[in-house]
Amino acid sequence: MARLAMALDYKNCINCKACETACKEENGILRGADKHRIWVGTGEIKGEYPLLDIVSNTFYPSQCQHCDDAPCEDVCPTHATYTDDNGVVRVDVEKCILCTYCINACPYDARYVEDVVTNTVDKCNFCSDTRLERGETTTACQNTCPTKVRIFGDLDDPNSEISEVLRTREHFSLKSHLGTNPKLFYLT
Amino acid sequence: MKIGFINIPLKEGFSIKSILGFEKTFVNLLLASAILGLLAVFAVGIYSFLVHGHHAYNVTREHPWGLLLAVYIFFVVSSTGLCIIGSLGDVFGFKDYMMISKRAIFGSIVTILAGFAVIIFEIGHPVTMLIYNVLSPGLLSAIWWMGTLYGLYLTFMIIEFYFLLNNDMKKAKIFGLTGLLVGLAAHSNLGSVFGFLNARGISQGVFYPTYFILTAFITGIFLAFIIYGFRYKLDFPDNAKKLLQGLAKIQGLLISILIFFVTWKMLTDIYGGVPGKADTALHILNSTTFQLEVVLAMIIPLLVILKDFGRSPVLLFWASMSGMVGIFFMRYNLVHDTQLKPLMMLKKTEYQLPPTWIDYFPSQAEIFISLGGLGLCLLMYYIGTKAFNLDDETH
Repeated sequence: MARLAMALDYKNCINCKACETACKEENGILRGADKHRIWVGTGEIKGEYPLLDIVSNTFYPSQCQHCDDAPCEDVCPTHATYTDDNGVVRVDVEKCILCTYCINACPYDARYVEDVVTNTVDKCNFCSDTRLERGETTTACQNTCPTKVRIFGDLDDPNSEISEVLRTREHFSLKSHLGTNPKLFYLT
Repeated sequence: MKIGFINIPLKEGFSIKSILGFEKTFVNLLLASAILGLLAVFAVGIYSFLVHGHHAYNVTREHPWGLLLAVYIFFVVSSTGLCIIGSLGDVFGFKDYMMISKRAIFGSIVTILAGFAVIIFEIGHPVTMLIYNVLSPGLLSAIWWMGTLYGLYLTFMIIEFYFLLNNDMKKAKIFGLTGLLVGLAAHSNLGSVFGFLNARGISQGVFYPTYFILTAFITGIFLAFIIYGFRYKLDFPDNAKKLLQGLAKIQGLLISILIFFVTWKMLTDIYGGVPGKADTALHILNSTTFQLEVVLAMIIPLLVILKDFGRSPVLLFWASMSGMVGIFFMRYNLVHDTQLKPLMMLKKTEYQLPPTWIDYFPSQAEIFISLGGLGLCLLMYYIGTKAFNLDDETH
C-alpha cells in the first residue's frame, strides 16, 4: 500500500521530449499525435528580435494527475476506471465499454482511445503495468529525464524524496478548485 | 395472436402482404422509397463501422462524442415526450387526450428502440456494457443510471402498451404511471450526464437535467402533430382538432418557458466574462446551428401558435416539422457545444496544433447510421400501424 505521486520541477524542463518518447517505448503507446499519455506544453517566445520576452518561453510537462477524487472514476458506468492499492488511477480494459464519458469528464485532458490493440480508453498509470510490475521504483519518463524534472514516490512515506521536496519547496496543483485533489505537484 | 397467457390483439388480416399492400399514392410511394433508402444507408454505415471501427467516425481525443450520441438523445427525448403525451389521457385521465394514448405510447417504444439501434454503434463494447453494468455497476455514474432506467422504462412502456391494446385501462394506468416516472428519472439523468461535467463550465449545473424534461414535453407535442397529420392526412376530425388545439396552447406556454430558460442560461454564462464559460457562450450564440435551433424549434412554432392560439392544425403540422428539425439541432448543439472549448491543460501548443475551438463535422458513416435510425423508427411505426389498432376504441 502506497500513495504514489509525482512532483515536477518544471522550470528545469528543456522540452527535449525524451519523456514522451520513453513513455511510448516503455508502455507500447501507439504512434500518432493524439495518442499520448504524457505531454509537454510549450509557451512560445513572445516579442520580436531583439526584444524577445525570454520569460514567456516555458515548458510544462503534464499527464494524468492521479487525483485522489478522480472525476473519471466517478463517471465510469462499469467501474473500469479505478484507483489501485498504490493510489494510481487505472483502467481495467476488461470492463471498459468505450463510452468515453471519462475523456469528457477529465479536467486534465489526460485520456485518449487506444483504438488498435485494446480498443479502450488509455492513460498514464505511472508505468504500473511495466516498470513497477517488474519491481522497479521509477517511471520511464522520470528515469529518462536529462534535467531530473520528475520526482516520483510515495506520499505516505515521510522519508521519500517526494515527501521531502513537498515539505521544503513551494508547489501548486492544477485546477485544484475542482476538488479533484491531484497528486501531480508543480514545484516553484 | 396468443402466446401462452399473453394475448396480443393484432389487426385482422395482418401479414407481410398487408404491410406491402399500401395504397399506391405518390406520397405513400415517396415515403416507402425514403424508408428503404434510409435503411440502405444504415446498412452502408454499419458496414463502414464494422470494417473500420471508430476510425469510421470523425470523433477525436478532444471531441469524443459525436453525431451518434446527439441522435441517440434526439430519439430518447422523443420517446420521453411521447410518453408524457400518452400519459395525459391514460394516466392522468384527461378525456380529450385519451384518443392519442395508444399511438403515443407505441411511438415512445419505437423511438427509444431507434435510439438504442444508433447508440449501439457509438458504444465501443456494447456486450461488455451489458455484462459489467450488472456485475460492477458504477452507481455514481449518470450514464449507468440513465442506461439502466431507460431499460426499465422500455419494459414498462411495452407492458403499458400491451394493456392498452387489451383495453385494460386500470393496469395500463399503473404501468403507465410507473413508466412515466422511471422515464422522467432516466431522462433527467441523461441531462445530468452533461450537468455533472465539472470540467466543462458551459454544461455543468442544474440546467440540463431540468431543461431535458421541458424539451421532452415540447418534442412530444411536435410529434403528436406530425403523427396525427399523417394519421388523418391533414384532414383532422373534430375530436382530433380539439386535442391538437389543447396541445397547441400547452406548447405555446412550454416554448415561451424554453425561450425564457435559454435566454437566462445564455445571460448567466456570458455575464462577468468568466473564462471558459462566457467566451464559449458567445461562440455558441454566433454559431449557425444555434441560430437554426432557435428559429426552427422556438420562434417559428411559437409565432404559428400565437397567430390564432392553435386553431390551425395544418399550419401547426408544418410548424412541428420545423420544430423537429430545430430539436435535432438542439441535441447536436448540446453535444458539440459541451466539447467546444479545449481544456487548455497547459497545452499551449499540442504537437504544433494551437488550441482553438474544437471543430467537428460528422463523417459519412455517422450520418448514414443516424439516418438509418430514422428509417428504422419510421419502418417500425409503419408496421405498428398495420399490426395494431392504434386508435382509441374505448371512447
